[in-house]
Amino acid sequence: MSYTRFVLANLLRNKLRTAFTGGAITLAVVLVCLLLTMPAALDRILESAASDVRISVHHKAGLVYSMPESFTRKVRAVDGVEAAVGVLWYGGAYEESGKVTFPSFAVEAEHLGAVYPDYPIDPQHLEDFVKYRDGAIVGRSVFDKYGWKIGQRVALTSTAWPIDLDFRIVGIIDDPQAPNFWFNREYLSQALEVEFGESLGEVGTIWVRASDPALVGSIMQTIDDMSRNSEAETASETEKSFFSNFFGSLQGVVRIILLVTGLVTLCIIFIAANTASMNVRERSGEIAVLKAMGFARKVIFGSLLGEAVAVSSVAGFLGLGLAIGLTTVLRGAAGGGGMGPLSGFVLTGPVIVQGLFLSLFIGMLAGIVPSFGAARRPVVEALREIF
Amino acid sequence: MTVDSEALIDVRDVSRHYVRGNDEVHALDGVSLQIESGCFVALMGPSGSGKSTLLNLISGIDRPSKGEVTVAGQRLPDLSEDELAVWRARHVGLIFQFFNLIPVLSALENVALPLLLTDLDKTARKERAQTALRVVGLEERLDHFPATLSGGEQQRVAIARAIVTDPDLIVADEPTGDLDAKNAEAILDLLRALKTSFGKTVVMVTHDPRALRYVDDAHHLDKGVLLDDEAARRAAEALQASIGGLTHAGGEA
Repeated sequence: MSYTRFVLANLLRNKLRTAFTGGAITLAVVLVCLLLTMPAALDRILESAASDVRISVHHKAGLVYSMPESFTRKVRAVDGVEAAVGVLWYGGAYEESGKVTFPSFAVEAEHLGAVYPDYPIDPQHLEDFVKYRDGAIVGRSVFDKYGWKIGQRVALTSTAWPIDLDFRIVGIIDDPQAPNFWFNREYLSQALEVEFGESLGEVGTIWVRASDPALVGSIMQTIDDMSRNSEAETASETEKSFFSNFFGSLQGVVRIILLVTGLVTLCIIFIAANTASMNVRERSGEIAVLKAMGFARKVIFGSLLGEAVAVSSVAGFLGLGLAIGLTTVLRGAAGGGGMGPLSGFVLTGPVIVQGLFLSLFIGMLAGIVPSFGAARRPVVEALREIF
Repeated sequence: MTVDSEALIDVRDVSRHYVRGNDEVHALDGVSLQIESGCFVALMGPSGSGKSTLLNLISGIDRPSKGEVTVAGQRLPDLSEDELAVWRARHVGLIFQFFNLIPVLSALENVALPLLLTDLDKTARKERAQTALRVVGLEERLDHFPATLSGGEQQRVAIARAIVTDPDLIVADEPTGDLDAKNAEAILDLLRALKTSFGKTVVMVTHDPRALRYVDDAHHLDKGVLLDDEAARRAAEALQASIGGLTHAGGEA
């Protein structure tokens, strides 16, 4: 007989209740851990996607407004600019899904490689991309998800332009996080000219690569100054800042989700506290007898609190195990990890520690009030009520 | 503070009043009582007479509103709540009417429970608990849980739990109150044996007239007052008469 055995025996006296309480805490830990991965996932996307020498130039009024195509050539002439590529949203839908399946852009094929030398693209693929007017380079996650092959033809229905195009896959961005579908803007331009007698004269975003990180600030200033008082004034920002703004609305949602998670956690604490109170109330006779036998208040308090913390700790470990399993499944479902938020569900060390602390916190908070109440109650008063 | 006294228990002019709702209850009024070491004593009286209150004061569970209670040389009102808990663990073994065993612990574990408050290691605690269960005749039922034991056996486990720490004083509150006649007599026999074989001082609150055949002395209380010799004699005669009634009825009460 030991205190550990005593606590364990008490925990197992009502197995169903203990299981339900532990289950509630387990679910809270799973939920919180999954949601805590989201801000970290966004940070990781920013860190991995953003370069310290790449600049995004877009219309000051917003991303949906375009700029003249000629502005790209002016940008290339700015001191310190190594390369620049104009990019235009195509909004392609694959296999008649009716909505954008993955981000597809018309790009200047001959400039792409120079702006993204850090992207893992086979040089031969880049050559083919320039060579084939209908060529497309796609991210690994999209490539794998649809089981495409190099040389395969793929038809996209545009949600942004009144023309649908048929592409030849010529290359891969060999990064499991890359969701891009890039094709030659000349292809789109010529198709529009044939169909409507008017070629492309605009660009949505210009991606610029600076020769030196130290020049990024001055390049952005020069570009924005060049466009001042024109019909398309620009707003330049670093790649990291661009993605941060892009994900801004999502981070707002994350904040709301975290708030809801906090409230759910509070509910779980109340449920666990209610269970602990019921346990104490049902055992008030035994507790009175223990006190009469000489068990001090701190021992009674410690043993009752120990029960609550033991349940929450076990539930915490179970919750972490479940969360790790779920994140693995979710990443697998994302097809190699490239499909946005799903691929971001990675339980990092800090999230695991937070999950464990959360379970302990729930146990402590839920157990402390009923345990304290039971411990400080005068023994004779408790006995008088029972006998 | 300690005082010199030949009596193990020395209760002097003790009163216990408490408030219940809007009423002040005078549970005990000016009670004085001495109990020698190694005696088996019964506190008797009708319900509400104050006998359980007196037992609580003697065992350090409650504090007097007035007067002195000294047990084994220790003035109990001088001790704080936590000091009283330590004192009870060392000096008092408690037996209750409804046994009050922990249902999720085996007989052996129930008996070993008070030993958690000692410095004994796990092996020694187990040996002591086994010995105590052997004393009460339950060495074959060590691993049984309370629900699988009869009332009499449960009370024996409770007695083993009370003696396992080798206390100076054993207090029993209606120990036969929830038992049939046969088991009640067995428990009284056992309590008597604790006095005769182990020299323990046993103070028992009881309504049970059979107890008079086992105890060395009986003190009668009524309305919070200890009865004088004459009143006590009449009360004892009345009880003896009820024993006769029980005997004629075949001891089935």
